[in-house]
Amino acid sequence: MHNIEKVELIIVGGGPAGLSAALAAANYGVNVILVEEREFLGGQLVKQTHRFFGSEKEYAGTRGLKISNLLVKEIKENEHIKVLTSSRVLGIYKDKIVTILTNNKMMKYFPKALILATGASEKFLAFENNDLPGVFGAGAVQTLMNLYGVSPAKKILMVGSGNIGLIVSYQLLQAGVEVACVIEAAPKIGGYSVHASKLRRMGVPILTSHTIKKAVGKDKVEGAIICQLDSSWREIIDTDQFIKCDAICLSVGLTPLTDLLRQTNIKTVYISELGGYIPIRDENMETNIKNLFVAGDVSGIEEATSAIIEGQIAGLNVAKRINKNVKYQLEIEKQIMEAKEELELLRAGPVGEKVRKGLKKIGLNNSKNYDERMSNEEYDISFLMRTGIPSNDNLKMKLPQSEEIFNKGPIAISECFQKFPCDPCVKGCPFDAISEEGNINNLPYVDFEKCTGCAICVSKCPGLAMFVVQKNYTDSTSLVTLPYEFLPKPMKDQTVLVLNREGTEICEGIVKRVIDGKIQDKTTVVTVEVPKEYFLETRNIKVK
Amino acid sequence: MNEDNIIICRCEDVTLKDIRNLIQQGFTTIEEIKRLSRIGMGPCQGKTCGLLIAKEIAEITGISIEKIELQNIRPPYGGVTFEEIIAGDEVEK
Repeated sequence: MHNIEKVELIIVGGGPAGLSAALAAANYGVNVILVEEREFLGGQLVKQTHRFFGSEKEYAGTRGLKISNLLVKEIKENEHIKVLTSSRVLGIYKDKIVTILTNNKMMKYFPKALILATGASEKFLAFENNDLPGVFGAGAVQTLMNLYGVSPAKKILMVGSGNIGLIVSYQLLQAGVEVACVIEAAPKIGGYSVHASKLRRMGVPILTSHTIKKAVGKDKVEGAIICQLDSSWREIIDTDQFIKCDAICLSVGLTPLTDLLRQTNIKTVYISELGGYIPIRDENMETNIKNLFVAGDVSGIEEATSAIIEGQIAGLNVAKRINKNVKYQLEIEKQIMEAKEELELLRAGPVGEKVRKGLKKIGLNNSKNYDERMSNEEYDISFLMRTGIPSNDNLKMKLPQSEEIFNKGPIAISECFQKFPCDPCVKGCPFDAISEEGNINNLPYVDFEKCTGCAICVSKCPGLAMFVVQKNYTDSTSLVTLPYEFLPKPMKDQTVLVLNREGTEICEGIVKRVIDGKIQDKTTVVTVEVPKEYFLETRNIKVK
Repeated sequence: MNEDNIIICRCEDVTLKDIRNLIQQGFTTIEEIKRLSRIGMGPCQGKTCGLLIAKEIAEITGISIEKIELQNIRPPYGGVTFEEIIAGDEVEK
């Protein structure tokens, strides 16, 4: 063949799935070419300034961009991986020839295996004037803000309350942008309740059963008209409401980016639970074309942790085929098994139900390991999922049952009511006082006997759902320790405004302690003295 | 609701009204609608409009969305110049 380079493995996409696939394969000596369209590796991880949920093994509790830095460092140190950034895969042909545009040259390769980890693209929404300047996708807002340090607007309307909508709203607030409100067409919040609660205590309303009808403005967005929807998603007449804003951010879901895959004879199928048209693949991430694998969002929308594990599974399977050394075969097989189990565990809880349903439609994950009880919520969280605020009944379940416990001193209170796979509070507690009873999908509970109120968990929890309270600080005041991620940071002895779970100012408080060390990693831990009657209401502060 | 002000294909400036008219005329596949309206032929190659049009076809015709196919995709993914093609051929491997 003329000018066609024979290679072992080409991976398309340098996001979490592609990075982990490259490492998994290269660790067994497979020579990898990792192709990334942008000028840097990391994919969407580089824009994620929040801490990740999940298991510590897959970097839970670490900020997305740090996960990216860790993986990229490993990639660069691995002699088996050749990275092509600013490079685009142009074509995958029937004879398995792959063309790549790199360094202004169209190169031709003949790989033994191919892993496509091309990720996802954002869904768009049809409403009047949706082409008005100021209508953004959430990805663009995040790129402007977190990559280039450009503020996208002064006041924004967020459409969609999935995790991306909630997280980007929070990051907008951190950047000093006002969020008018978050609207959600469904009757309940789409993302994790802890993300919603973070917004609510900043005073941002979340309107469920609401949609956008129209962007308003002459040459750019000056506002939006939203309306209420009934239970069958039909507009309720006379519920129009004008929201003043200078930008509208759409966060209405992702869909697998399958363009490259569809150049081949790959079979795709529409699975709404997984975001749209997805490639049919087996549990080893291999498609109907031999040696063509997929990993991450391109195989169905999930999140970064599962993308990392899927990348490992795909990379290890390629390693198993290419590295024939018997010595490694068993070891690789074992690692594939472990990765699959890990993935199953991640999907085992109530929030994994949608993905499980979707996978079942393509004949995967009918696993016996899914425990029905595991996939049910522990509490009735319907109020929480509608409002972002836990109900009194929810709160009661996590408080000490006897008043005496408050007399002992400071104790940690976990305001985590929705089951999803996450364990940094459990793993981070130096006194072993927080437990999920052996399953990462369970709710964490504090053992008040063991808890010393050290507040390590306050900065460990990715959902900012841990607080420490000392009810009887003085006869008339209590201390509340809470996480704070905004500028300016409060200073000791400063008087601050104290907010409740709805972001309403309830009283003033005095800052008694500010911890902002390496362990806190920019989640400042603030202790504030408040009148005793507010010790269970105090959940945020505003620095004057 | 003014369908004329709702853009479905941003790249080629095709409105919801244009799409609904075509479907009502009997063009009920994305490939047909693409050839008549240029949807999906701009820089994003149907990433923005594809799902919206599939849903629109499903709603009007009653065909389930699972049976509707997205547009065909062929290499190359994105533009490539002759200069770049020739340059690649001249590299010694």
